[in-house]
Amino acid sequence: MSETKIYLELVKIYGSKNISNDPNVLEKYSEDLSFFPKKEPKYVIWPRNRNQIQKTIKLANSLNFSIIPVSSSSGPRHHGDTIPRNNKTIILNLSKLKKIINIDRKNRVVMIEPGVSFGELIPQLYKRGLKILTPLHPRASKSVLTAALEREPITIPRYMWDSSDPLLCTEVFFGNGELFRTGAAAGPGSIKQQKKSGQAQVNPMGPTQFSPFRIIQGAQGSIGVVTWATLKLEILPSIQKVYHFQSKNIEELLDFQYELLKYRLCDELFILNNLNLACLIREDPSEILTLTNSLAKWNLIFVISGRDKLASDKIAYLEGDILDIIKEKKLKISNNKTETNEIDILNFLNQADINPWRLRLNGGYQDIFFISNYEKISELITLVEKQITKNLGIYIQPINQGTSYHCEFNIYYNPNNKEETLDVKEKFLRISIDLMNSGAFFNRPYGLWAKDVYERHEDSTQKALKKVKKIFDPNNVLNPGVLCFDD
Amino acid sequence: MFLEKEIFKEFEDIVGVGNIDDGVVITNVYAYNWCMEIFNYMDGKEPIPFSPIPKAVILPSSTEEVQKIVKLCNKYRIQIKIQSTGLGPWNQPSTDNCIIFDMRRMNKIIKIDEKNLYAVIEPYVSGAQLQVETMKYDLTIHMPGAGPMVSPLASATSMNGPGFTSPCTGHSARNVLAVEWVLPDGEVMKLGSYGLKNNSDWFHGDGPGPSLRGIMRGWAGTKSGLGVFTKVAVKLFPYPCSTDFNVKGNSPNYDFDIPDFMKLYVMDCGNFKKLEDVMLGVEEEEISFMCSYLSGFAVMAIFSNSIESLMDKIPIGQMKAPLVVIITARTKREFAYKQKVMDFLLNNFKIENIIGKIYTPKPIFYAEALRSNLGLHGFIATGGFQSSKGVADTAAVCLRSTKSNIPLKQEFIKKEAIANDFGEGTWMTSYESGHYFHMESPTMFDQTEESSVKGMAEYMEKSNQLDLLKHLGAPFFVEGTRMHELFGPYMSNYHIWLRKIKETFDPNNISDSGFYISPQNK
Ligand SMILES: Cc1cc2nc3c(=O)[nH]c(=O)nc-3n(C[C@H](O)[C@H](O)[C@H](O)COP(=O)(O)OP(=O)(O)OC[C@H]3O[C@@H](n4cnc5c(N)ncnc54)[C@H](O)[C@@H]3O)c2cc1C
Repeated sequence: MSETKIYLELVKIYGSKNISNDPNVLEKYSEDLSFFPKKEPKYVIWPRNRNQIQKTIKLANSLNFSIIPVSSSSGPRHHGDTIPRNNKTIILNLSKLKKIINIDRKNRVVMIEPGVSFGELIPQLYKRGLKILTPLHPRASKSVLTAALEREPITIPRYMWDSSDPLLCTEVFFGNGELFRTGAAAGPGSIKQQKKSGQAQVNPMGPTQFSPFRIIQGAQGSIGVVTWATLKLEILPSIQKVYHFQSKNIEELLDFQYELLKYRLCDELFILNNLNLACLIREDPSEILTLTNSLAKWNLIFVISGRDKLASDKIAYLEGDILDIIKEKKLKISNNKTETNEIDILNFLNQADINPWRLRLNGGYQDIFFISNYEKISELITLVEKQITKNLGIYIQPINQGTSYHCEFNIYYNPNNKEETLDVKEKFLRISIDLMNSGAFFNRPYGLWAKDVYERHEDSTQKALKKVKKIFDPNNVLNPGVLCFDD
Repeated sequence: MFLEKEIFKEFEDIVGVGNIDDGVVITNVYAYNWCMEIFNYMDGKEPIPFSPIPKAVILPSSTEEVQKIVKLCNKYRIQIKIQSTGLGPWNQPSTDNCIIFDMRRMNKIIKIDEKNLYAVIEPYVSGAQLQVETMKYDLTIHMPGAGPMVSPLASATSMNGPGFTSPCTGHSARNVLAVEWVLPDGEVMKLGSYGLKNNSDWFHGDGPGPSLRGIMRGWAGTKSGLGVFTKVAVKLFPYPCSTDFNVKGNSPNYDFDIPDFMKLYVMDCGNFKKLEDVMLGVEEEEISFMCSYLSGFAVMAIFSNSIESLMDKIPIGQMKAPLVVIITARTKREFAYKQKVMDFLLNNFKIENIIGKIYTPKPIFYAEALRSNLGLHGFIATGGFQSSKGVADTAAVCLRSTKSNIPLKQEFIKKEAIANDFGEGTWMTSYESGHYFHMESPTMFDQTEESSVKGMAEYMEKSNQLDLLKHLGAPFFVEGTRMHELFGPYMSNYHIWLRKIKETFDPNNISDSGFYISPQNK
């Protein structure tokens, strides 16, 4: 089918204003911060409503072109998952779908469209005494819905009741253009009718004997295009008390972290190396380095909180119980009182990030992340540290009620320095593969990792995933080529 | 003999002599199950408690054996139905071309991973066994309300998942990590990190990429409509109080040393609106071990061991909207804090705790709560029940559903088809500190009386219709082709997608779809 035909059909849906083939615009979508090979899309389109999305997907099925959905309005993209892989790709930019459809205090849930960013949502929720569960200091312009769809880890493991949290129900167009609602949102009845009977789309499971939201999640846009989702909220605490424990020895902190996790004693809970903590707190590279040098290598951060009339009673009980654990376990660590202050830490925990923290030190980074069990964390850190001796940020985030750990390595470098970039590129892939060979579970296999990840996984998984793709996107129009799906 | 001699021999070669039986006695016994009569009647059959008789019953002892049997079933186009502990009609074949897998030989706790807070189990490990072992590490498990005698694997992979401790241990479907799963074509699939070719381990169940847990099950499981689950990793939770567990005496009149930091509250909220406010209020504080609305009659039942002992609890039965909350703590400080929160809430909502004033339960109640054994009383006190409804979303919809069901139930009570619980019999619990709720309406009927069975079945049909027409969420028992085709068109046409999954993953229709969905034209 000719390109002109595609263009003309798209104009019928969008008018010419919401389609672009301006080379400057296309260029922006041809690459991201990753080393994934560059390729331009044919067009970028900005739908304003779900009818347009449905028509576009149906058109792609009949005229045989590919669609890559993206949602964040601006800011860097990362992992090569939205770079076209063929010559007939259209970017479906959902960033103009920006409605916060409903904030429901009683049922602690928000319904949002894909274009709503952390920078927009956090203050709105704050006004209602609520908070969204966020990844570590998320970029202000980042789509909240996409972060959840991509299973980005949240910082409060005890609120991650399932690995899918905070994602609840979704409205989605599958690859054949059919509209679907997942979880309790499926019905019976329309959303309006469900609301009338008191429902709020807070149960993600189902409908009935399958849970398609789990298939859409982690699919990098290759199974369906989500037009709204409901996300879990928590009530804003009135007191947050920050603890910052430092040590030269990560095992000591991991041990203590385990006790806090096991008894669900705190809210935010994670470990950072000194460089990453400094990047989160300071903006200027030299200040980052100064702070890095004054911090111990490993930093365990956790927050206890309370609210309303009994807030201080709660804090007192938690503090007492935590101190008892420290005594009982004879831990020789103490709360840091000098290098960082509580406000610095709360700032990055409670607010969205206007100046992305991973870009602050050198203007560029590559991140390697995966899931590990408790025992392997130290071994895998050593593996990376042996190969990267400087400008390495490390972030260890317990997830899913403490049953596993998101491990993230940020390799900071200057992307304008060709030599350094080449060196990082070579190391990035080599280290990733070393990690895969050592038991790191790359459960979000982006861009350049995908092939190596699936090769190291039982063939039955790939086979099953391909079958699932065929069911929900029979003509392979949605982001073809990602994961184990052929282009 | 129901299997041809040569075919029988092929199966026997896999599991060994004595581990397969196709004799009349065994196969007939396995054709019986509790509540089968209702489902028979609903399917237009005679209301008897028997399903089609299986061709044979087979007892595999390993995943390899399961895989071989499934492949053989594909070869001879014989269907399979799997039973872990096998309680309920969903364990029964829907055709007479079916072999039952009794998983009792796969009964191992593969590991308890203290550091990563999960356990890996086989199908025939019971909740009771697993809990005892995890208590050694100051940990516990989520158990479905069915009780500690059933299989946590079956609940996590294949069945439902609401439990009395759901406020702090969630739902079975959401506690699943890695899974080992023999697909209907005989392929072994390992979900998540267990699928790594090297260094495989059980700590994560999703990916790489999309999570195949999404086709494994939903709010309900596929009830053996999509293969056989041979191992699963499930999350562990902190044991709620001291693990000292001192029981004395003989069944059913045990005595128990109530742990120091455990307190029961039973409060009459007066009406459903207030009940909703109180439940949400308690759950937002994240303090409860158990937080359930039970009708007055059901509260009487959880404290009773016989019909006679129900009678001295009439004052409880008169409560209009009772809320049962248990708080537990590991330390004195935690306990003091939680009690203070409860005092504050009671004061705020102007309600009273009747425990210690109007009624004091026997200590064994606390042991049963810790063992998730309260569902048992539905049988002891009333002789038998089946649940209708089963919506899960907000507290509001659960209570609306409860309310709208009362006149319907009363209609059938009047006809003397079901027992008189004033139409109110409901259990509703919070999950994950009140992030969502579920309700169901346990309903008592006489399994031995045909008119009662028919009445119960008709009541269930009408109750389903009510949910559909009033948009009260999908009930539990939307399963089986007829129900999917009834509800699907009102629910995003999900049945079309579910059917595609069935057809894709079970090309020979080997996994019995009686409680799942049949492929097209089958
Ligand atoms: C009185 C009563 C009360 C109940 N209350 C609750 C409740 O409060 N909450 C709740 O969640 N459930 C409840 N149930 C249902 C209960 O969840 C299940 O019976 C139980 O959790 C599953 O364990 P089981 O060993 O009994 O499973 P089974 O009864 O053996 O199996 C349950 C289903 O899963 C299938 N299955 C079992 N094992 C496998 C396997 N290895 N592979 C594939 N399929 C398999 C079976 O075919 C069957 O369809 C109740 C049941 C009864 C009888």
